[in-house]
Amino acid sequence: MKTSAQVGLFDRVSAMLEIVNKLPDDMSDEEIEGVLGLLPPDSRQGMGAFFVPRVRKAGNVFLKMIASWFLGAREARREGKKIIIVPFNFPPELIHAFDNANPITSEILSTIGVVALEGQGERYWDMAIGLGLPDHMCSSHTIELGSILGSEDFRPHAIVSSAPGGCDTNAKIHEFVSHYLGVPQFILEKPVDDSDRGREQYSKYYRRLVADLEEFVGEELTYEKLLRVAEKANKCTELCLELWDLHKAVPCPVPNIFSLFTYGVRFAMWGTDEAINTLQVMVDVAKERLGEKAYPAEKEVARALWVYTSYYFDLHNFFNWMEEQGFTHLGDGLDLFFPHHLDTSSRESIIEGMAESSWNMPMTRQVGSESMSVSWTEDVIYACRELNANCAIFCGHHSCKQTWSVASILRNELQKRTGIPMLVLQGDAWIKRMTPMSVVQDQIEEFMRNVVAKKRRTRGRGALATGKS
Amino acid sequence: MLFAGIDIGSLTAQAVLLDDGNIILSKSINVKPNPVESARAVMGELLEENNLSWSDIGHCVSTGYGREKIQDEGMAQQNVSEISCHGLGALSLVPQVRTVIDIGGQDAKVIRVDERGELVDFVMNDKCAAGTGRFLEVMCRTLGVALEELGPMSQRAKNHIHLSSRCSIYAETEVLHYLQRGVDRASLAAGINRSMAHRVMALIRRVGVEKEVLMSGGVAKNVAVRAELEKMMNVKMVTPRLDPQLIGAYGASIIASRAGGAT
Amino acid sequence: MSKITELSSVIENEYVRKWKDEGGKVIGYACVATPVEVIEAAGILPYRLVALGNPSMEIADAHLSRFNCSFCRSMLQLGLDGTYDFLDGLIETNGCDHLRGMFENWQYVKPSPFFHYLKVPHITTEDALDYFRVEVRLFKEAMEKHFGVEITGDNLWSAIEKQDKVRDRLRKVLAMRERESPAFTGAEVLSILLLSAVIPSDDFVELADGVIEERGTWRPPDFRARLMLCGSASDEVDLVGEIEGVGGLIVTDALCYGTRAFWKAGKEGDDPVVVLADMYLKELLCPRMYDDYPRRRDYVLSTVERAAVDGVIVMHNKFCDIHGVDNVQLRMDLEKRGVPVLQLEKEYGAKADFGRIRTRVQAFLEKIGDRGKAGDRS
Repeated sequence: MKTSAQVGLFDRVSAMLEIVNKLPDDMSDEEIEGVLGLLPPDSRQGMGAFFVPRVRKAGNVFLKMIASWFLGAREARREGKKIIIVPFNFPPELIHAFDNANPITSEILSTIGVVALEGQGERYWDMAIGLGLPDHMCSSHTIELGSILGSEDFRPHAIVSSAPGGCDTNAKIHEFVSHYLGVPQFILEKPVDDSDRGREQYSKYYRRLVADLEEFVGEELTYEKLLRVAEKANKCTELCLELWDLHKAVPCPVPNIFSLFTYGVRFAMWGTDEAINTLQVMVDVAKERLGEKAYPAEKEVARALWVYTSYYFDLHNFFNWMEEQGFTHLGDGLDLFFPHHLDTSSRESIIEGMAESSWNMPMTRQVGSESMSVSWTEDVIYACRELNANCAIFCGHHSCKQTWSVASILRNELQKRTGIPMLVLQGDAWIKRMTPMSVVQDQIEEFMRNVVAKKRRTRGRGALATGKS
Repeated sequence: MLFAGIDIGSLTAQAVLLDDGNIILSKSINVKPNPVESARAVMGELLEENNLSWSDIGHCVSTGYGREKIQDEGMAQQNVSEISCHGLGALSLVPQVRTVIDIGGQDAKVIRVDERGELVDFVMNDKCAAGTGRFLEVMCRTLGVALEELGPMSQRAKNHIHLSSRCSIYAETEVLHYLQRGVDRASLAAGINRSMAHRVMALIRRVGVEKEVLMSGGVAKNVAVRAELEKMMNVKMVTPRLDPQLIGAYGASIIASRAGGAT
Repeated sequence: MSKITELSSVIENEYVRKWKDEGGKVIGYACVATPVEVIEAAGILPYRLVALGNPSMEIADAHLSRFNCSFCRSMLQLGLDGTYDFLDGLIETNGCDHLRGMFENWQYVKPSPFFHYLKVPHITTEDALDYFRVEVRLFKEAMEKHFGVEITGDNLWSAIEKQDKVRDRLRKVLAMRERESPAFTGAEVLSILLLSAVIPSDDFVELADGVIEERGTWRPPDFRARLMLCGSASDEVDLVGEIEGVGGLIVTDALCYGTRAFWKAGKEGDDPVVVLADMYLKELLCPRMYDDYPRRRDYVLSTVERAAVDGVIVMHNKFCDIHGVDNVQLRMDLEKRGVPVLQLEKEYGAKADFGRIRTRVQAFLEKIGDRGKAGDRS
């Protein structure tokens, strides 16, 4: 049967991003309304989240960064360069270091599709399921997979899988795509071994991957090329750490959706000028808001650390809505990548530093480790304490089998060691069919007002804020 | 010599009698507490109403729920899966049929057959209410309309309503929200039928579509779901000259006639 | 054969009880990647964890979630409800996300007296093999330290020899099942394989010799087709029985608890640790291994040909991503080569599912036609 949607995700998203690229940096409310009014309903809803006044400046820059990334990859392909699909838990700066290769991050591709396209990612998901793939696979790759398999536009030259034992669905889907398309899959194995031996073994694997990619791309990664991205990556790290610190203020001056922007930058364009620019704008906006003590609600009712992913199928009614109720999103598990400064003194030190970055990428670090429950709990407790969180939420994306398998341990430990309550939600982070946003909102609101706020009153921190309803 | 087919579904049970390759008698009843009782009742009543007896049946094939037990009880000489029976039944009615979409009360299946009615591929959903008659039942209750009204009603829809949820439980909540916001029932009916068609399409994609396509089972009587499916597949479905609910039993009776030596 | 069926259908069978009564220790492990010789060389009984279709999961579900594979939930249930209290230790392996979570919850709620994590690579490059050789050595040392024993090279060679005998008998049984007139049903072979991993090797060899002789000229009752069964961790003998009850005789398999536990004999070498590490990692025909799909596919294809298989059933437990995806690749490749395939998703341990499965298998058999009668393949 001919699939009904043969125009793929990549092409359709590219078309949308071309429009974004042409938008002026400063737009008035009327201009924004005008542009959004041209879009069909789902796209309008998704893109609108970036243009809410407090988000607009950073949203604009972020979208342009994404456009540059995407359209850059499309252009690169036309020029005969290699396009390499990477998972979100693989630091893309290694690929950015090549002159003749561009990275495309599968989960970001799927997310942009869900945000920007009419019908979101559903038709591509349907295509993938139509092949017989089980519906408990992760929609973040299944959407992208469905598009690659069911449409004509986009064929990567290779796929990298990082820490295959950290997430079964991630690596298996990419194995499937690589076989189906007949392109190589480069595996960056990660031992579930937190000892020095494990770490050294990982460095070995990473160095071998670098060599394999050099051979595949047909290009040597010289010290100069690596230095170029490493220095920019270090600048990104500085800005990221500044943003982390800004989150600590009460009320939080960092808009909720910046949590998404932060890891959007990390997974797509880390080590590039566009990434530095985006992070700089985010820091500037947050500092300004700090100075003005700006906060979207009358009072900050709750400061939540989302312990794993967030929901991406309705950004406005998730991120923006929450802070209008006084619920701060301090970041989620995907923000827990603990960036560090790369030693740029030699080619080897840069590669070793990148291996360290890779080791610490989210998911790999928390649930690709020797003990998922211990690593994840340690990181969550650290983040909660650092960022002054008073509650935690587990998004409960249905196909996250590893986190689901130890979520009960995390909840227990969090309660025992910090008294912080954890809400467990269910749903599909990329597909609204599973749990509608209205249901997610209801559950968050109930938790915040009945559990979190009550705990605050019990501790005598003052009257409950009314916030906006 | 008569040949018989008995098909026990989740909500209704069917019996068909063939003579010389033609259906001479058929019956459909609501199921009894267990499949053996249902078989005894549906065929028993059919025979009695026509002054016939079990001994007039040369060969009988059972299909559907409890088909093996029905055979063990001696009411059938053979049991065959409902998948094969539906496929063959559809083909025997319309020799050009190659795809059969059967949506029953509690399960759904899509069957591909070749020119001889042999199975090429199939897929079933018998676990999840979404995409089966049960989904429509639940929605009708929420909407406060009778099941048979759902199809015709949606033709009077004023608005395009998109029900986003895959799960019947959330879909119910969504419908209630829309009702509270004053959306008219006809538009909601259209949305429900469309949503149903989406779920069925998910099954169809697993095996693909080859013309001609025939829809069987209770939900085939819903004109709106049919129309939506035709739009999604870009194919006009053929209409059998037999009540769609009888196709399984008909297929079983044809297998019975072949086994019994009839040409 | 009936004795084997009976023994393999209980968790703490009489051999295990006798072993324990005589002061012996037992260590539980989950994956076929575990070199059981290390355990046996320490004088301890290796016990491959099973759930045997156990359907209750209430305790386990307070820890694992309903998005986790019910095989792991069933196993955790048995760990937490006391059924596995006879174990003196557990060996975790990173088989899959669900299994890792299963072990972590088990240890969190009811820590085992001895717990060791054997970290199995997902690839078989030289680097990975080197790593695993050290892992096996560390495994040996952990056993020595905790149980106060010395595991010498000779102990290991002796254990390899014993397990080679077990493997030899299993190969014989499998070959007898694959013959034109199969000497065993699929359900029976699964019982034999399950038992081989839970009782002392000498006892197993004795029982196996008995059953090999018993079934020398046995012929199965009529069946409709010769099938191969591939897929997720399943020790559900009943399920195999249900499939065969509809007429599809399972003459061969590539199951986690089935022929994947089938190793070539212990290789020659100087260092038994290296021999074991290489044997177990290189021969690991499991979809958790990356960069290895073509070999798995070819294994299935050559088995289909050798065993004259009429159709293949690829099944996965719901939420098993590893097999869920691998099965689709396999199905596509088999169908491309004209091999009929039935792809099944199922719940583990759900007898209520059997009706659905029988219907699908029956339809599959109707689709591929009646190919086989006992001993008569025209």
